[in-house]
Amino acid sequence: MKTTPIVSVRDLHKTYGKTGEKQYEALKGISFDVNAGEFVGIMGASGSGKTTLLNILATLDQPTSGDVEINQQVLTDLKGNQIADFRAQQVGFIFQDFNLLENLTNFENIALPLSLQNVKGKLIHSKVAQVAQSLNIEAILDKYPTEISGGQKQRVAAARALISHPAILFGDEPTGALDSNSARDLLEMLTTVNQEQQVPVLLVTHDPFSASYCQRILFIKDGQIGQELEKGAQTRQQFYQAILDALGTFD
Amino acid sequence: MLTKLAFTGIKSRLRDYIVLLFGLMMSSGIFYMFESLATNRAFIKANARQITGANFIFLFGAILLTIITLVYVFYANSFLMSMRRHDYGLFMMLGAKQSKIGQLILIETSVIGTIASLIGTFVGWGLTATLAPFLMSRMIGTKLHHFSALYWPAVWITILLYIVLFLIAGAINRLVLTKTPVLKLLKGDSQPNRPRLKPVSQLLQVIIGLGLLAMGYYAMSHIQTFVLSAIPIGLVTIVLGTYLLFNAVFVWLIIIIKRSNWSNRGLRNFTLSQLSFRIRNYTKILSIVSILVALSLGAITVGIGLQRQVTALSTASNAYTMAIKNPSAETLHEINQLKLATQVTYQQKETKQVIYYRANQIKQHPVQFTGFGPLINSTKRNRLAEPKYRPMTRSQLSKHPEKLMVLQPKAPQKTPRLVSDDAFKKIPVKTQRLMLFRVNNLQADKAGLKRVVASLGNPPVTTIPGSYNVFILGTVLFGGLEFMGFFLGIAFLAMLASCLMFKILSGAASDKGRYEMLNKIGARPAALRSSIAREILVLFVLPAIVGVIHVFFGLQMFKVLMLNPYYQIWLPFTIFFVLYMIYYIITVQLYEHIVLPKLKIDQ
Repeated sequence: MKTTPIVSVRDLHKTYGKTGEKQYEALKGISFDVNAGEFVGIMGASGSGKTTLLNILATLDQPTSGDVEINQQVLTDLKGNQIADFRAQQVGFIFQDFNLLENLTNFENIALPLSLQNVKGKLIHSKVAQVAQSLNIEAILDKYPTEISGGQKQRVAAARALISHPAILFGDEPTGALDSNSARDLLEMLTTVNQEQQVPVLLVTHDPFSASYCQRILFIKDGQIGQELEKGAQTRQQFYQAILDALGTFD
Repeated sequence: MLTKLAFTGIKSRLRDYIVLLFGLMMSSGIFYMFESLATNRAFIKANARQITGANFIFLFGAILLTIITLVYVFYANSFLMSMRRHDYGLFMMLGAKQSKIGQLILIETSVIGTIASLIGTFVGWGLTATLAPFLMSRMIGTKLHHFSALYWPAVWITILLYIVLFLIAGAINRLVLTKTPVLKLLKGDSQPNRPRLKPVSQLLQVIIGLGLLAMGYYAMSHIQTFVLSAIPIGLVTIVLGTYLLFNAVFVWLIIIIKRSNWSNRGLRNFTLSQLSFRIRNYTKILSIVSILVALSLGAITVGIGLQRQVTALSTASNAYTMAIKNPSAETLHEINQLKLATQVTYQQKETKQVIYYRANQIKQHPVQFTGFGPLINSTKRNRLAEPKYRPMTRSQLSKHPEKLMVLQPKAPQKTPRLVSDDAFKKIPVKTQRLMLFRVNNLQADKAGLKRVVASLGNPPVTTIPGSYNVFILGTVLFGGLEFMGFFLGIAFLAMLASCLMFKILSGAASDKGRYEMLNKIGARPAALRSSIAREILVLFVLPAIVGVIHVFFGLQMFKVLMLNPYYQIWLPFTIFFVLYMIYYIITVQLYEHIVLPKLKIDQ
């Protein structure tokens, strides 16, 4: 059965610098799809354009040309408050540096996207309790972000990203600031969420270990997709090896 | 090399530096404005005769303003440091010697301070030179003697104070920066801040705070018994009391609101958290600002009150504004331009000893006199009584013709007498006309009345009978005080608003990340804006409320000087709050400019 993709990117270009001045083309025509329930990785060296791509997907930046559709909405059509609402309702975001508000408790941090949509207090409580239970962070809800460990912070961030049941979850190097145990925890948690809730995950990383949790990996080099790798029936260790090999020949 | 690097750092953040420099300039300018009054002994002596120990009061004002300036300079300085920590941390990481860094900080701080105080004094001179004549001509309508915009002692005091303050600030900066670990400089501080309820200590603070405030208010309202010591007692107790109250009540209030369901919608919870994050290190500045609000508002209120008092007293002094003998066509023309309440012309004949009036004429158009009742309205205590004008009957006047003496220009020694028309005709001198008129509002027709006097060939106003000369005398007597009230009120207002603005803006850099993040998780730009506007509004309104309460008690002090300091109090309050709100809007705009993320669109 052919399903419509959750994310559909067509011939995406992004040029920095005004016409007439020295220009820099960060994205040179990128096209790909992410289907429902997929766990896709985007890999590339620093400066390859992966952050630019993610920013455009998350409506934080606008493309110079090309189309992006997420959950059947064309991003370039969105205006003003629609952009903000789109971010709040359709997209979950996990950042490398957690991006939690240190003046709110963990509970308040997780609840924030719901209060932005003016969800009722009672409903907020039950939803936060539910997501906290599934991510195993119930015990730290009343603490402040500065009072918990990096791994816990990233779980709180994941809970905040998932609370509004987004169409897609973006991860921008989410394991970048974590020790290896916390990183493994987080990736396993993302895999579980991906499989149980069928939320597609798009993970931007340059770490082969993180990438090995994905089902499919797109390699970006100089603003273009250079190579694609499928996990298929391989075990994670085998896939990890395949990624390392690909990186070896890719550079 | 390092010096060059440091200056490149300044260049890259030129706009922030301009904000800093501008703020400091304003502050030193305002300080100069105050000093130009406070250090001018001759001016105070000539214009504040009504207040015993005016010098003493100004000395207190100067000390207070110095303390406030100190606080202001330190806040501006922390703004400066928040911009520079990262650069200096980087230099140190790259191996710059601590002594070299220390030297750089000292140089940078003192250079900025010197430039700011020099330009600021100049600006202050300009402000004084524009504001003072404006107030003199528009608000009080007289020229004041011994006042000059450029007053050298004030110039020296301002420049010296600022340079000394900046040297101290530079030394402190140096100490702080060189003692802070490099890592902390690079990463900035993000300490946890958990607002906690400490019922016992908070209750104690509330009780002590209220006690101190009560003491201060008591001292101010019984200024006749405490005399001059009321002012220092009031200042100390009220400052301390306000601080304790802010500290105890507002943290508690925010926690209560946060627990309620109301806070669950939109960004309310975030705004409240920002506030509770803030209130702790804002209590000091908020209490200072509330005192400044009180001083500024109080000064403007007293200024306007004195002006109104002069008008009220003069309106009550005579039923007619002017009595003019034989007005020329030009004078009549000028009088017709005025908004007149009443107007009457009598014929009179003047001999060496007697002035004759026609009794019939006075019967037809009775002369009005003011009744000497209480000046404060007995039923509505908050109002000044409207003056009552009563006509006198002919028989009354015949018995007491001396009553008419108040209407006789230049001839008070002559006896007035009422005679019949026949007798009047028989007196062998030329008939003269005496014109009496009353304007609706002395204050509003000030300029027109001046023209009337000019059309008479500019005689000294004291020789023109009527309420106008009382008005002019009162203005001369109270004008200096009015002027000081307006001038200081506006200076204090500018100072307090700049203080608050700086404190808020110096926190903006660390807030930037929070607003960026809220944007990323999908907060609408309008929601971010309203959150900012609300947060800053609370920081502006809290001290204003407390300040207003202080003013209500503080005005008790002026009962010795004024009939009713509370009369029509809404007017100065409105003027003050309009100006205050302008500052609020500017602060919100600047803050939004710093913290709100912009969508990157380059096309």
